[in-house]
Amino acid sequence: MFSAIRQAARARTMSLTAARTSPSIIMRMPSCRTIVTKKYTEEHEVVAFDDETGLGAVSITDHAQESLGDVVFVELPAVGSKVSKGDQIGAVESVKAASDIYAPVSGIVTEVNEGLNSEPGLLNRSPEEKGWLCKIRLSAPEEMDKLLTLESYKATWEA
Amino acid sequence: MPLLPPVLYHYFRTPLPYTRTLLLQEKIHQLQLAARRSSSHHDILLLLEHRPVYTSGRRQTEQELYAERARLTSIGAEFSIAARGGQLTYHGPGQLVGYPLLDLARTSPPIGIRDYICKMQKMIQSYLLRTHGITHVPSDHTGVFLDPVTKIASIGVQVRHRLTTHGFAMNVTKEPLEWFAQVVACGLVDVKAGCITEANGRDVRVEDVVPGIVDAFGTLYGRDMVKLYPQSAGELGEAILALEEDALAAGEWLRAPSLT
Repeated sequence: MFSAIRQAARARTMSLTAARTSPSIIMRMPSCRTIVTKKYTEEHEVVAFDDETGLGAVSITDHAQESLGDVVFVELPAVGSKVSKGDQIGAVESVKAASDIYAPVSGIVTEVNEGLNSEPGLLNRSPEEKGWLCKIRLSAPEEMDKLLTLESYKATWEA
Repeated sequence: MPLLPPVLYHYFRTPLPYTRTLLLQEKIHQLQLAARRSSSHHDILLLLEHRPVYTSGRRQTEQELYAERARLTSIGAEFSIAARGGQLTYHGPGQLVGYPLLDLARTSPPIGIRDYICKMQKMIQSYLLRTHGITHVPSDHTGVFLDPVTKIASIGVQVRHRLTTHGFAMNVTKEPLEWFAQVVACGLVDVKAGCITEANGRDVRVEDVVPGIVDAFGTLYGRDMVKLYPQSAGELGEAILALEEDALAAGEWLRAPSLT
């Protein structure tokens, strides 16, 4: 499923008309939601990549927020910063522990979740939805392939 | 299940300058990151005192701290911003500072941050009770409290790639107390600093508490504690010896804040 999405993204962004797979593999009907791929890192970041906008919403996983405890402060990257996969892009502080967050993919930060400045607890209550950290315009969507699926991610920490 | 390697500990006998110690922590962190690829990295516990210094965590901005920085350096302390959790605090002679530089991912599953902090708190609490008969009161705030307005130990940690830096600070003698009185530490307005000497009614020195803390650390974290010999510890040992030399060269320190 992922490779079909990736092909579709390339087919749109490139000016070549000959897409490798025929577009009919994904039936895009107007009433359907856009396809969003969620991948994980070992460092407990999630990126939800919307291939239509080319933006990846970065957040931490539910498991991460649980193991952190109550979040009291979130440090976010500056809008417009260029990040490479693995760069430190911010930090989450809880119970006197500041834990660094790393960019799961490379690109430009287009938006940060300002709500977290006044409500850092959002990260605990809704880590992967309302508590999103920032949005990155991916410079290399194929980096998504190297990230973990939910099952592989869970395998890294489940006993 | 493979046995976890011992934690190597080292106690510095001379109070250390803060910024240089930050550099040592950073160096050890980099050494650990590099050696982790071949699983040959060590877990370290540094035990020390600092020369008088006020430090702030990541939450406060440079702007907010500007006035404080000027005031506090004028009374004779250093001022530094640290990438750890927590807010403004004081470190100085008479206070034991501990920096556990551990890899939380040695176990599978890795130790969670909340758990790591919890063990650190319990370690201090159990040491105080067993060695000094000092009981603590539970608190919503991280740290160890003797009563709701007296804090005897603080915790502030940084975690990067599951490697920890910074750690805890526990007041042993009365020397830190007057320095603490110059600020609102940890953002807690009504709270004052306590120390073992006052709680005990008996003089205790920092070097006296080291063996007990090492023991308590090993127990709470389930690790063997082995003394580090810097002379035969490669790059890590050289860095430690260099910092000790710097500390000696820095000479005497201010015993009390210069308030005139």
